Amino acid sequence: MIPVSIITGFLGSGKTTLLARLMRDPAMGRTAVIINEFGAIALDHDLIETSDESFIQLSNGCLCCNVRSDLTLTLGDLAARRAQGTVPPFERVVIETSGLADPAPILHALMTDRDLIGVYALDGVITTVDALTGMATLDNHEESRRQAAVSDRIVLTKTDLAGAPTDTLKERLAAFNPGAPVMAAVRGAIAPSVLFNCGFYDVDGKHPDVGAWLAHESVDAAGGPVYRPHPPQRSLHQHSEDITSFCIVRDEPLHAATLPLLLSALAENCGADLLRMKGIVRVLEVPERPAVIHGVQHVYHAPVWLPRWPSADRRTRMVFIGRNIRESWVLTLIELLDAEVAAETAKRTLEVAPPLFKMVTRSHI
Amino acid sequence: MLPPVEGEEEQLRIFLAESLELWRVSGIVRAGNTPVIAEISAANGALVWVERAAGDTPFRWLARWRGAGSAPGGVRELRPRACASLVGLLGAVRDALSVERGSALRIVPAPQQT
Repeated sequence: MIPVSIITGFLGSGKTTLLARLMRDPAMGRTAVIINEFGAIALDHDLIETSDESFIQLSNGCLCCNVRSDLTLTLGDLAARRAQGTVPPFERVVIETSGLADPAPILHALMTDRDLIGVYALDGVITTVDALTGMATLDNHEESRRQAAVSDRIVLTKTDLAGAPTDTLKERLAAFNPGAPVMAAVRGAIAPSVLFNCGFYDVDGKHPDVGAWLAHESVDAAGGPVYRPHPPQRSLHQHSEDITSFCIVRDEPLHAATLPLLLSALAENCGADLLRMKGIVRVLEVPERPAVIHGVQHVYHAPVWLPRWPSADRRTRMVFIGRNIRESWVLTLIELLDAEVAAETAKRTLEVAPPLFKMVTRSHI
Repeated sequence: MLPPVEGEEEQLRIFLAESLELWRVSGIVRAGNTPVIAEISAANGALVWVERAAGDTPFRWLARWRGAGSAPGGVRELRPRACASLVGLLGAVRDALSVERGSALRIVPAPQQT
């Protein structure tokens, strides 16, 4: 599996500068780069030093709007050429989106396209935010808020410029995506190791760092009180942003049958408002093996069953990032669905249990 | 039928009210006359009645409704839609309120851990 990282960020936020600097790092030597430029004249290619064979430029429109026709074909073709040996054997792909791109369709393509599944695995989304203009951009552009909300790593750029209000900006970014570490990069200078390998899929086959991927403690800390069913308490905490995040922690395990019902309900009722959801779930029927779930809007990976819990914390933890989705709605949904499954399970157990008199009769035969 | 847990019906009504907010539908949810446990009145005039299904059926919920601008006594008002779970009930309420919302869940293979 080849990990794919997406570098996104609003127009002029420093994506190309970051990528250009990263590509000069020896650690990025076996990386294929795909750049999407919106304008008629593509310039970014000239700014990035990499081998021509593993560099692809998509300049016929916005990647998120043409994702099926462009990105999936490009990635498929790249994998085929790699297998044929006509391009260097790259070990990573980095996609730089256009500044107006919504990363969600790109994530969907990576998760759903039958030609890509099994070849590529999403590593993470890295979002650049201009320290000087980021606040205004977040105010005025939905695309910018979505880019920051779905990111796994946020890179503040131009922090060396005078007057950059980084503290306020960091607080604001943490308000709707507290799970994503915010780090600064002056003129793109940042170690690749802090940006890549941030997914729950581990390229080296090691036990994935699910805790870091989930980052639920950060969401807890930023998102106000965490709901636990006993004793009941409801958090009506809402950020001032239209995009909010929250973390749900449950001590009690969920029935296995609750999971698909929950995912269906989220997909059908939240739609595009649920930007991203990820979690580690304690399942009643297999409490020793947690299920890892990950979704973008209505598309979810099949749960990945870890061989064991990654830490002593064996609670269910789910992080939600979305718009206009109340934490209390999700909490009640989980509670009601699990209660339904429990009741149905109890009912079926009663139905299949043999009547007592038959057992007695058999014992006499 | 399993006995309703204390507060469960109120919890359902709050949940349905928050569902309206999630779908950006203006309306109110209140307790109805038995056997209706939740009555939804949308600002556009649509009405939905939610009842608990009898315990000897494979369903948990029944939803009846009168669409916005429809006359009383329509088919959906007289013949309830039976729902096996809360997921189905939410779908029925969305249909009743003509909410264009979301997509069917799509599950895709996860990356293989080596």
